[in-house]
Amino acid sequence: MRNLVHGELRKAVTGRTWWILMLAGTFLCLLSTFGFASEGHKAVAAGGSAADVTNDIARAWMMMFLFASLSGAILVTREYGTGTVARSVLLAGSRGRLLAAKTAVATAAGAAFGLLAAGLGALACAFAGAPYGDSAAFTRETWLILAGVFACSVLAAPWGALLGWIVRNQVSAVALLITLTLVVDPGVQALAPEAAQYLLTIAMSSVYRDVKPDLLPVPWAFAAIAGWLTAAWFAARRLLTTRDIV
Amino acid sequence: MSTTPAISLTGLTKKFKDVTAVDDLTVDIRAGRVTGLLGRNGAGKTTTLRMLLGLAGPTAGHATVLGRPYGELPRAAHRVGVAMDAIGPVTGSTVRGELLVWTACLGLDRRRTDEVIGLTGLTGAEDRPVSGCSTGMKQRLALATALLADPEVLVLDEPANGLDPDGIRWLRDTLRELAAEGRTVLVSSHQLAEVEQTVDDVVVVQRTLRYAGTLADLTDGGAHRLEERFFHLVDAPERALTHA
Ligand SMILES: Nc1ncnc2c1ncn2[C@@H]1O[C@H](COP(=O)(O)OP(=O)(O)O)[C@@H](O)[C@H]1O
Ligand SMILES: [Mg+2]
Repeated sequence: MRNLVHGELRKAVTGRTWWILMLAGTFLCLLSTFGFASEGHKAVAAGGSAADVTNDIARAWMMMFLFASLSGAILVTREYGTGTVARSVLLAGSRGRLLAAKTAVATAAGAAFGLLAAGLGALACAFAGAPYGDSAAFTRETWLILAGVFACSVLAAPWGALLGWIVRNQVSAVALLITLTLVVDPGVQALAPEAAQYLLTIAMSSVYRDVKPDLLPVPWAFAAIAGWLTAAWFAARRLLTTRDIV
Repeated sequence: MSTTPAISLTGLTKKFKDVTAVDDLTVDIRAGRVTGLLGRNGAGKTTTLRMLLGLAGPTAGHATVLGRPYGELPRAAHRVGVAMDAIGPVTGSTVRGELLVWTACLGLDRRRTDEVIGLTGLTGAEDRPVSGCSTGMKQRLALATALLADPEVLVLDEPANGLDPDGIRWLRDTLRELAAEGRTVLVSSHQLAEVEQTVDDVVVVQRTLRYAGTLADLTDGGAHRLEERFFHLVDAPERALTHA
């Protein structure tokens, strides 16, 4: 298994995909950082709390989880595009071992995205207000948000990878993840907030401590995420072991 | 030469929705020889090899390599080397990078990559991105990957595709050498002329098995061209054929 994980790690760092995703994620998070910083400046001038502004900026970095999930999905689906997955299966010993190794490596990639988001998020909190002459107001809550941002990226990457095993096509998997994250889940949340709190990305907003109403308490949110990951694992495993490879 | 077959297919059948790609294929591949799996495009060669390797599940029948189904063969990845047209390299890799990925998966020493690079004539191209390689170089890389673990059995799907005359001669010599070292080589092809000078045994398929035996028997020791015999076999009505 160590060899297999080593090989999968080598694959994961091959190519430019992960750099592109990290850059794209950083760019988007920076954009919303600037938004929150300038809005925050007005709010503070109107008597708002500086701590709230810092926390909003920290939360802006949650978006990295979308890119972590895309990296997980691409890690799997690009192998279907090139047929490489057949060799991966042949060399893995069994399809189950390949699934486990790939999921482990996707999770490690998610941790890299998470570290990037939490690290840059902390820097953004510290310096984003500087152009306006605002100084950061770190509280315990800020650090909890950044920890949540990290956790969401870590958990989103295996989610993307498992969906990749199910969908087996790069374009479809990427489109599915983006649609779920940006359209379906927020849509359900607007229509039926009670039910939506159990959705994966809405449960994640509990983890990065969003201030919306109708969110699960953090432990329950982790349980909901674990439920989604478990379901995806069994679906992916079943489909991988029963369907023909390419 | 061993008498136990290296590869054994029994009643192997694959139906896709409305096509039967492979129909009741029963054949043994002898160890230590080069066997050509011949057929037109769409004759079911790739599907047969995919079933042999457990990549596709047969609709009926079963296949074994070295006495076991691939999935149950201990150290299968080390004992059976595979290169198939449909198995591409890792996106974005270089020649050496690609080999290092699979070297890691197999738990082999890194130096083995240099050995197979030498064996397949890729020296000097190590740092080239695979996407910038010619078809011939990609074929060499695929064979290099198949040879990484120094396997007893080689399963090669259309390795001559896209090779220039030099490449074809190189492939022929390489396959002959591998068999001379006692390895079993199963190589599929639709290019009869190239095969004629490479293989010991021939399996002709056109959905069903049309011939299995030595090349010498098929061509009456060279009295007939392989091509002539081939068309006779694949165009004949199925019942009229006796399985050699
Ligand atoms: N995954 C698939 N789904 C449906 N039909 C397939 C699939 N794979 C192969 N076929 C069909 O099976 C037949 C045999 O294909 P193949 O084994 O690739 O032939 P060959 O390798 O001899 O050219 C062809 O008619 C092909 O269209
Ligand atoms: Mg084929």
